Amino acid sequence: MRRAAGLLLAVLLLVGRLDALSSAHAADGKAADKTGIFVLGVDGMDPVVLQRLIDEGKMPSFAKLAATGSFQSLGTANPPQSPVAWSTFVTGLNPGGHGVFDFVHRDPKTYLPISSATLPEDPGSAVSLFGYYIPIGGKTPQNTRGGVPFWDPLMKAGVDVEVYRMPGNYPPPPSDAKVLSGMGTVDMRGGYGTYSWFTTYPVQGREHMKGDIHQVSLSDDDLDGKPDTVRATLKGPPDVFRMPPGHVPGDADYLTVPVTFRVDPEHDAVLVEAGDSRALLRVGEWSDWLPVKFHPLPASLLPLEGIVRFYVRQVRPGLEIYASPVNISPANPAQDISTPSSFANELYALLGYYYTQGMPEDTNALKDRIFDDDDYKRQVALVQQDTTAMLDLALTRFEPGDTTFMYLSDIDLQCHMLWRLGDPKNLDAPPHPARAADEHAVAAHGEDIEGYYRHVDQLLGGVLERVPEGTLVIVMSDHGFQPYTRKVNLNAWLRDNGYLVLKDGKHTGKITTGDVDWTKTRAYGLGFNALYVNQRGREAEGIVERTAAPALLAEIGAKLEAWRDGDAKVVRRAFLGDKIYSGPRTAEAPDMVVGYDKGYGCSDESTLGEISETVIEDNLSRWSGNHLMDPEVVPGVILTNRKLPRTGYALPDVTATLLAHYGVPLPQGMEGKDVFAP
Amino acid sequence: MQTFNAITSRVFDVLLAPFGHRWAWFDLLLWPVLAGVAALLIYKLVSNQKGIADAKRRMMVSLLEVVLYRENVLGVLVSTVKGLAQNLRYLGYNILPMLVMIVPMTVIMVQLVANYAYAPLKQGDVQLLEVTLAPGAGSSARSVTADFPAGVAVEAGPVRTADGRVFWRLRMLEDGDQVVTLRAGDETEPKIIPVGNGPRKVPVLRTRTWEALLYPGEAALPAGSAFETIKLAPPDRNLKPFPSGEGGILLWFFAASLVAGFLLRKRLGVTL
Repeated sequence: MRRAAGLLLAVLLLVGRLDALSSAHAADGKAADKTGIFVLGVDGMDPVVLQRLIDEGKMPSFAKLAATGSFQSLGTANPPQSPVAWSTFVTGLNPGGHGVFDFVHRDPKTYLPISSATLPEDPGSAVSLFGYYIPIGGKTPQNTRGGVPFWDPLMKAGVDVEVYRMPGNYPPPPSDAKVLSGMGTVDMRGGYGTYSWFTTYPVQGREHMKGDIHQVSLSDDDLDGKPDTVRATLKGPPDVFRMPPGHVPGDADYLTVPVTFRVDPEHDAVLVEAGDSRALLRVGEWSDWLPVKFHPLPASLLPLEGIVRFYVRQVRPGLEIYASPVNISPANPAQDISTPSSFANELYALLGYYYTQGMPEDTNALKDRIFDDDDYKRQVALVQQDTTAMLDLALTRFEPGDTTFMYLSDIDLQCHMLWRLGDPKNLDAPPHPARAADEHAVAAHGEDIEGYYRHVDQLLGGVLERVPEGTLVIVMSDHGFQPYTRKVNLNAWLRDNGYLVLKDGKHTGKITTGDVDWTKTRAYGLGFNALYVNQRGREAEGIVERTAAPALLAEIGAKLEAWRDGDAKVVRRAFLGDKIYSGPRTAEAPDMVVGYDKGYGCSDESTLGEISETVIEDNLSRWSGNHLMDPEVVPGVILTNRKLPRTGYALPDVTATLLAHYGVPLPQGMEGKDVFAP
Repeated sequence: MQTFNAITSRVFDVLLAPFGHRWAWFDLLLWPVLAGVAALLIYKLVSNQKGIADAKRRMMVSLLEVVLYRENVLGVLVSTVKGLAQNLRYLGYNILPMLVMIVPMTVIMVQLVANYAYAPLKQGDVQLLEVTLAPGAGSSARSVTADFPAGVAVEAGPVRTADGRVFWRLRMLEDGDQVVTLRAGDETEPKIIPVGNGPRKVPVLRTRTWEALLYPGEAALPAGSAFETIKLAPPDRNLKPFPSGEGGILLWFFAASLVAGFLLRKRLGVTL
């Protein structure tokens, strides 16, 4: 009996092993039978600019790819905003399917702007103990994106997938694929990047700045008559154990580490001490990443690790030191920024520290005029170093049959920030209104955008050289670019046209501070392209009946499309949400998507609910290029190393191609068609 | 200090030589086990084995009394006090062996850390060299100068801080033991910066205080030196699967020697 049982066990084990072996082989076989796919996702690459640079012989790798394969425009999402467009690419769904309609959504119950990336957090409750709040229940933030990301069915089919810096993937939804989150990933403070600025000079207009501004003074520690030391603090994550659940952190509610700047009495050099880390920097130098630990609990329990870089802009006559937003440390992430959660650390082990903040280029410091264009370019160069190293690693790990996606931010943010110094799309364009303030920078930086295009060309050259033979190479962008010369205050337009009414006869105000009289307001704008009807039963104080909404929207749409700024159209097309979207999340969509014409875009102020004095004005901000317009004026690009049989492709077609390449059926609802299908 | 460090370093240089620094795993397995065995034998030799056995037996008796006569409150109280007294007696028997063992065990740990905890710098690495002046030594930070060898480039510094420290940011250019010469007044002190050439003993800190006993990789500073410390912060050597760094080696050493001692106690006839 025992012998028989032993024999049976041996047979079962053998069968189990064979079965496991054959499954593994089958899984490997699916991938190995196919050549792999390497996708470069170049945010903001514009077909017109690219074509010009190819024609001028400045993009040899792109020229080669276009000649051997294809180069076409690629239809973008509506609205053509990065989180919307990349979510469309990831899921193959229109926004009505994946539920991301704008950078900013609104809560109809409060009229407050909310993030489109995460669902409203359930704060749960807490027990108060010795001044600490010990959380009970509550949920961590969840990604709001619906649909199935392309990497999940690929992984199920046995394809090894690696995705680097995917926009809109924070917080990372559970997956077996290796995915590092990109745009939308927060810094340690929980925002999209708050820099710190330490200066001995007075700072004007600091209340409008996006950074933490510290006006500091030097103390004379050794009493030699020369001031030598600055002591300050660097803010990290909210001190959640000291705040009741749901409390919105104020200025004093963040954990900090001490920062000390010790200035040499003779040389223009500074010793920077941040927590236990140190760097010695001369004027104009950036530190490496310095790890800093924040301690929410006594006895250094549960330390939260971040990383920060310092930049010494000036030592004498006054001190000016910049500290980057404190990024989540990939060595020991305080929260998940990848799937599996160990992937971020795996990359750290191979690359060292790297930017984990979703938008690593510090556009806020440039907008706030903390950086000049030289400073910004130096900081962008650090991001480029990171990207180059990560791409090199991705290529090293890429094997036949794999799918790898690499996101490049090189072009998008630089087009946003530097368009004012030279329009790369129209070399004869009149000077941008924002150029006058930085005329001195035109000679040095007027062609920087071209430089960033050429950098991407170099990266593509490396990809084409190193991918295994037969690999399908796709270069794509989520949208193109246009100048952003005129700022539109949509809420001011709604006010002037009688659709939005302020309380107490006010002319200006904010939705967020209760200035709007909702009993008389029929429509309002929140988000870069979104317009909502104040609908009864949906909005907290809605007054427009659901049945009356279509007529109201038709009226507003007609007026918007007829609106002229001089001879120029302001709004090219006004789209109705229920007409352009389909899918389970359509009910969450804006009632109208405002498709601005070239050169026009919604102001930051109106996007967040401000009702300004003026309706339209020159854009004097350094944020001078844009794409938050009618999708037809900002198409993206698609290039492949195989001939495309047709034209007129859109983002979901690229998604469908990734699956079709391996013979994987499209998940239910996924739109698009294999670009190589006849 | 210097003599003690020199002797112990020489002994361990010889002991570790057969396997070299590349085979860290061998020494990290061998030395904790040997230390565990040596600790057992020392314990057996210097402790009162009979007294320890008697104290343990009496503790057990007290414990049994507490369990068996738990209805008798006064009895439980008396037995508990007796048990605690035996416990103190047991701890007392351990003081002498602990005092005897503390020096050799510390020497082994210090030597393992010096030989395996750190990695030499690599070409291209950037490192801060930090000099702290001795309080009351009469030299000011501004008087400190340094000569650097060709294998090291000064990228920035010196930065002299108000609290008497001087920093240089250095980039490593060539493999080898690069020797920096530091001067304060008439005093001249060398500092070795190890670059490349594979795993080896990495000098970290020179100091004139008792801490020099913990850093035998380089000569201690003279007692009257104008320098308090001269230090580098070399990276931890990756010792996977063993824990890395100073803390990792200490943790491993304690855990492995305790396990070895516990497993071998009966075979060696030791009552713990």
